Parts: sequence; structure tokens; C-alpha cells
Amino acid sequence: MELNKTRNFSIIAHIDHGKSTLADRILELTGAVDSRDMKDQILDNMDLERERGITIKLNAAELKYNGYTLHLIDTPGHVDFSYEVSRSLASCEGALLLVDATQGIEAQTLANFYLALENNLEIIPVINKIDLPNADVDKRIDELVNVLGFKKEEILLCSAKTGKGVKEILDAIIERIPAPKESKTDETKALIFDSYFDSYRGVVAIVRLFSGSIKKTDKIKMMQTGEVFEVTELGVNTPAKESRDELVNGEVGWVAASIKDIEGVSVGDTITTLRAEAKEELPGYKEMKPMVYSGIFPIEPNKFDALKEALEKLKLNDASLRYEPETSEALGFGFRCGFLGLLHMDIIKERLKREFNLDIIATSPNVIYEVLLTDNSIIYVDSPSSMPERVKIKEIREPYVRANIFVPSEYIGAIMKLCQDKRGTYESIEYINPTRADIHYELPLSEIVYDFFDKLKSSTKGYASFDYELIGYKASDLVKMDILVNYVPVDALTQIVHRDFAYERGKKVISSLRKMIPRQLFNIPLQASIGAKVIARDNIPELRKDVLAKCYGGDISRKKKLLEKQKAGKQRMKMIGKVEVPPETFLAVLEDKDK
Amino acid sequence: MNAVYVHIPFCRHICSYCDFCKVLHIDNFVDDYLDALQDEILSTYDGELIKTLYIGGGTPSCLTSKELIKLFRILENFKKTPDCEYTFECNPDDITDELLDILVSAGVNRVSIGVESFDKNNLKFMERNLDYDDLAHKLELLRNRGIDNINLDLIYALPNETLNIVKSDIKKLISLNPTHISTYSLIIEDHTVLKTNNTKYISEDLDRKMYDIIVKSLEKSGYKHYEVSNFAKPGYESKHNMNYWLNNEYYGFGLGATGYKAGLRYTNTKNLSEYIHGKYHKEEVLTNIKEQMDNEIMLGFRLLDGIDVNLFYDKYGLNIQDVYPAIKELLKTHELRYKSGMLSISPEYIYVMDAILVKIL
Repeated sequence: MELNKTRNFSIIAHIDHGKSTLADRILELTGAVDSRDMKDQILDNMDLERERGITIKLNAAELKYNGYTLHLIDTPGHVDFSYEVSRSLASCEGALLLVDATQGIEAQTLANFYLALENNLEIIPVINKIDLPNADVDKRIDELVNVLGFKKEEILLCSAKTGKGVKEILDAIIERIPAPKESKTDETKALIFDSYFDSYRGVVAIVRLFSGSIKKTDKIKMMQTGEVFEVTELGVNTPAKESRDELVNGEVGWVAASIKDIEGVSVGDTITTLRAEAKEELPGYKEMKPMVYSGIFPIEPNKFDALKEALEKLKLNDASLRYEPETSEALGFGFRCGFLGLLHMDIIKERLKREFNLDIIATSPNVIYEVLLTDNSIIYVDSPSSMPERVKIKEIREPYVRANIFVPSEYIGAIMKLCQDKRGTYESIEYINPTRADIHYELPLSEIVYDFFDKLKSSTKGYASFDYELIGYKASDLVKMDILVNYVPVDALTQIVHRDFAYERGKKVISSLRKMIPRQLFNIPLQASIGAKVIARDNIPELRKDVLAKCYGGDISRKKKLLEKQKAGKQRMKMIGKVEVPPETFLAVLEDKDK
Repeated sequence: MNAVYVHIPFCRHICSYCDFCKVLHIDNFVDDYLDALQDEILSTYDGELIKTLYIGGGTPSCLTSKELIKLFRILENFKKTPDCEYTFECNPDDITDELLDILVSAGVNRVSIGVESFDKNNLKFMERNLDYDDLAHKLELLRNRGIDNINLDLIYALPNETLNIVKSDIKKLISLNPTHISTYSLIIEDHTVLKTNNTKYISEDLDRKMYDIIVKSLEKSGYKHYEVSNFAKPGYESKHNMNYWLNNEYYGFGLGATGYKAGLRYTNTKNLSEYIHGKYHKEEVLTNIKEQMDNEIMLGFRLLDGIDVNLFYDKYGLNIQDVYPAIKELLKTHELRYKSGMLSISPEYIYVMDAILVKIL
């Protein structure tokens, strides 16, 4: 392989700016995929990815163009997965920065741009969707020049949909993106930037070689763990899986070595070979810790094992997913799961439902708290119900983020009000152009997890885009709010809230419980409390009528059907003390919050 | 087997709430219908002695005299006990000397009249007519001819109905001194005018208040509350309905009728043309012992006196509390009570009995 004829690149963009469509067009143009076999967005393997129009798992493809070998490394477009973006960017020498001609620079355009800069990549700015009637190319060029500092003549124009300008992009990749560097050593160093589980091959590592080579039957060593495996198979994706005998410096490909456990292949680790063992590993990544936690429980208690199996399977392809068994008095046996963010959580929940056919209840998501105890020790609390008693707590700290919010200028007021309402601290505001601004706020992550996205959407008619980075923990006046049904505390509904919001949120939970829990044979008091102090209350009056007044002419079938339905409903009820609670109640408490 | 229900599906007008099996009265169908009814009876009836015979509808009284004479001639096929309860459902407008002649000579000794309400707005809502004085006169006619066992039906919980309307309706019913009163909370059924008009139920709490008023008023006036919706002067409990609540067998003849014989629950076709062409039974479900016991519970607990546990044992060879272990728990919480061999739902829970039933079944 000629190194100077190799180019490794990614495409980075804000969500929906056309990244996957451009990838498709490139695959088509380079003949990697026959246009007859072209399925939209071929790199997005999962149905869910295709449906949501986003890429979750990375994928890499080797392409041939004008005598050059190009490795296209796809990246996720969402903030939750910025860790994965930085992983794949570290495997490239260049990136296409895609901007929608109708929308311009958005929050993730900027976030991804900075990630690419940090990785010293050659960035090629591309304005996409120029065929659309509302495309405003001049305005976008100004933005790229003024905000990101590109030169006007660097900027390429294309329509990934029609294919216009795509050839020019390929030419620019070859001209502008540097070839992988010659290595000064023959030591094998391959960066693992992704992995997945294949039922035949075991765990497959996706790697970028930075020096040396890996051959079939090589003994490879994971430099962090010291574990040694023998390569059974390796190759590239074109994007169809293609076996090779060898992967060499500069190449991107996959390596299988009968590895059973996903933990055995940790992303960011360096693979070396025993025959040309490296002394130092490549700079890895800091491990991304889950920041959003939620309890996941099967609606039917006998599906616990199925849920466990499903999570195990998801974990095989998703090292960032965390889970450990949790028991809830109300919901039974389930798992406390840790996610990178809300989207990550939604995706896991959707996949459990769709791919594993599981009906689940997820409790209200929460962040992970740092708690300073009176004995000056620090603990991390990922579940509101496991927050220690108040007397043992000196201080509760919560994670804060720096948020960048892109909006048309007429919504600046609305955004500032929203951020203020969410305990935000104003930092600064920048104008991208006279009609659009980038607003910076520091916000508690818990408020973002609570309902920030929905509020942002509704207060800007969907015109805002949003991105954030964690900036650390800060002490806040947080309290543990319990919800009691018939005087029994419901662990699954316990929340950590800011003291100023407790009353409002308590009232909302109580009102959705009031709506969801059917009347029963006795009066049911509902309370929200902080410690012993009740801050909101209501009650569900006892059932007053539940009978068929008339049983027609001995026709009992109707009554029977009615009772059977009622009985089936009763069987799926969750018990809080002696109160029967429909499983949907827990979901409704989640959904009602922003109304 | 000693009960018979006969369905006459014809009506002159269809009320807004009715989803019973009914068709507008069209002469040329009635004759064919009665012929088919005769065929069904002759081919199915095994000649048992009948203790209760009930002619319901529809509006049986809307048939012409000629048709009625034909009907009663067909019903002469049944061998009745001397004290057979013989009920005929009647519209007050149809009560004439001519009709009474026919009823009396046929042996009818009980009449059931759908009053439903005396309130002008209620009647309009239900698309019905009624005049108190006229009804009083018709009852006098009935009693003069020896038919003094009379049931009056009342419907309550109509949209916009107030407690005062219910009170007034009940007062008027009592003043007419019937032997039996049935009261029904409005059900908005599928395929009715009400459903099409998107009618909404009144609140559960108001419905319950109305029910409580009805129970209290009727009990005060000497009516025994013996079933969820039924009240009777002592000794005038409807034998026919008791037969249902006791989960006993019965014949059902006619369009859409249901019957229960030898463990088989059957439902007749609701299609008039099918029926006339001799395809009577639409559905037959053979019940197993457990289902029969379930039905015993479901029906028997509608009675305020409840279920005779010894009778249950005699019938099934099992103790009721062994088949339904929840019973013991419900006795502790006083949702059920047990008194001299009778197991029943406590009266304060009778209007929420379905919530109790699902705990038992």
C-alpha cells in the first residue's frame, strides 16, 4: 500500500445537515456501492439510525478513487456521542465540515468543528443542500468566514441529494487532506476507535494503524490490559466486509481474534503485536462517564431475565452503557442504567422495545450527584432514593454544563428567560450574523435532563439548536422530594430537586398521579414531601360506582367480558402498599412535567 | 329447567338509548317471525314444567290483536305450573280493554312497564312519551282485570338530570304503588342514537348520590332492595330474574335471545332474515365447571342476600371459600359478609361490586 495515496477522513455536521446522504453519494461515486443496491444512508446500520436520521455507531469504509484509497469514517452527529466523534476524528487526518445552506452554522457544527481542531485535522468546509429553493449560500459563506475563520475560496458547494459538487469534494480530499505520516518505526501501533460484537467472530475491533502492521495469525496484545489474543481474521469494509491478510500503517480496518468479552477490547486502547511490540501506547481517550441515570424495569415482573439478557446484548456494542441491578418496592426488579445523555437513553429504551420486544418502565432520569458528607468523605449518588439522610450531608453538588444555544435573534429573549428559569448563569452572546446569535449559559445538567429540550423547542418553535459540555460540579441547594401514595413513599418517584422548584414539581407529580391512578375502594391521600414536611397534597376519592346496572335478559356475556377486561387490567397493576397503580402512571409522571 | 324467555323484537319507535335487539314494526315480517318462533320452540322445548314465562322486547304490546292471539297460541305449547309467573312487557299507550282481554285469557299475571321517567326533559332525551295521569289510569285498568303484579322501570343518571328530578321521579313511582320497581343507571351503548350524539356520562359521584337516594326512598316505602337494580314488595321478587341470578338454566326463544341449557350458553342470531329462515343459534359456548362457578359468583352477588353456600356445595361438591380464597380476606375487611349460610357483598359495596368481583374471580 502506498501511504501517499491514502486519505483518512470523517464527515462532521450538525444533525440533519446531510452527513449520511453525502456519505451515500461518495460511496456511489467511488463505486463502492452499486447505485442499484443503494439503500439510503448505507453507513447507518441500525433501523433506528435510519429512522432518526442520525448515526449512532461509527462505521468505516474503504473506497477507491482515482488511484487513491480513501477511508471514510462516519461519526455520530449528536452531543451525547461527542466522545465517539473525538474517537473517530483521532483516526483521521482530515474532516469535511458540512453546513446546511438553508440553516447555517448550528450548535453541533461548532462543537464538531472544535473537536476537529483539537485533533489537528485539515478541515474542508462544505455547504450542502444548495439545490433547495430557500438555500442562502452567500449568507453561509459569510458565516463560515466570519465565525469559523475559513477563507472564502476554501469553501465547497454541493447538493448531496443530487450529487452536484460531490466529485469536487473527493478531489479536495485528495488535494488538501494530508496522507498518513510515514512511521519512523516498525512497531505495531493500532488505535482501537470502535468495537462491536459479531456472533461468529466475537468482539471485532475497528482500528487505525499508526505504525507497523497486523497480520493474520499474529499474536496481538492490548496494551492497557496486557491481554494477548491471536488474530483469526482481519480486513476492511468496502463497505461490505472484506477479508485481508494484513493491515498496514495508515489503514483503517477491523480485527477479530476470538475475543469473547467486550471489556477485553477497550476503545482508546492500542493494539500491538508480539512480533513487533511497541513500548509506548498511542495517546488514548479519557473514558466518558455516564451522566444521566434512570431505573429501567420490565412491566411484567417475569421479564426481568429477558431485560437482563437484552442489556447484556446491547452492552456488547455499546461500551458506554452502564447498568446494575436495582430493586424498587413499586416496580420490582430492574436495573439502574447510566447513559451518556438523554438521546443515548432514548435510543436504549427504543431498542429494548423494538429489538427485544420488552415493555419497560423507565423512571424519571436524573444526573449523578457528588455528595459531601459530614465526615468530609465524598460519595456519588446516581439514584434519588439512595440519597443519604439530610443530617449526614454537608453539601450536595451537581454537574454543570456550558451550553451553546443557536437561535434566530428574535428568540434571544425567550432563551434568556428559559435559561434564567432553569437556574442558568449568563456568560456571553455572539452574533453569527445579524439575524442569528450563539448564547452561552452555564446550567445545571439536571435541568437539561428535566425538560430543557422540550421547553427550548416550544419557546423557539424548533429554531434553536443546542450543544453542551460538562464543566464540573457545583454546590446547590438541593433537596430530596418524596412522593407518598396512601402514606407509602414511592421510591421510583423520589426526585432530587432544587429547593425553589420543589413545590411546583411536587404539585405536578401529584396532579399526574391524581389523573392516572383509578379510584379504588378507599380514599387515597397523595403527598409530596421534603423530609417530614408535606409540600403538596391531593387525594383520590374512593370509588363510588363500578357495576353494570342492567344484566340484560340473562345475557351474561357482556358482563363477563367487562370483568375479564377489568381483571386483566388488575393483573398488570403495580402495587404501592395496597394501592393498585397502572404501570403507565410512572410514564405519565415523566411526560406531564412540562405541561 | 323451568324458565322461558321469549323475545319480540318489534317497536313502533326506537328510543335513543336502546341497543336491544329490535326492529321497527313492519307487518309482513311479524307473521313470518311468529312462524319461525313456533318452529324454534317446537324443535327445542323438551316439555318441562315452566314456572316463569317472560315475554320481552322490543315492545311486545305493539303487535296487533291478531298477531298477539297468534303469539299466545304458540306459547300454549309450554306446560306451565299453576303458579307460573307469566310476564308481559307493555307500553302504557298499548294498554286497552282489547289487549287486556287477550292477556287475561292467555293467563298473563304480571306486567312490566317501561316508565323510565316522568320528567319532560328526560323523556325528550330518551325519545319517549309518558303521562302520569294516563299511566295511573292504565294501572287501574290492569288491576281491575286481576293483574296486580306490576313492575315499573326507571332510568336515571341522564345528562343534565338533577337529584331533584330523581327524587320527584321516585316519589311518583311510589305513589303508583307497583309491586316491583327496576331502576337503571343510563348506559350509553354502542350503536345507539346517544352514542352517535357523543353523549357523556354524568359524574360517578352524582350517579352514586342518585342511587343512594333511590335505595333509601324505596326502602322507606316498604320495597325490599333485593338485587343491585331491583326492588320489590315482600313476596313480589321477580321469579324470572331470580332464576338468572341463581345461575339456573332457562330457555331463550326469539331473535337475539340467550339461553342456558345443560351447561351450554347459547345466543340466537340478531339477523331477522336469518332467524326467519330457521338459523336460530348464532353462538354456543359450553361452560366448564369452573366457568359455571364463576357465573354463580358473578350473578349471585348481585343479590343483596348473596349466595347460599350450602347450595353452592350441593351443586359443585366444593366449598366456595376453597374455590375462591380471596373470600376469607374480603370477609375480614367487611367487603363481604356471612350470615346464616348466606355469603353476600356488604350493602355499602354493592354499587362497586365489580371491583369486589375482580378480587374474587
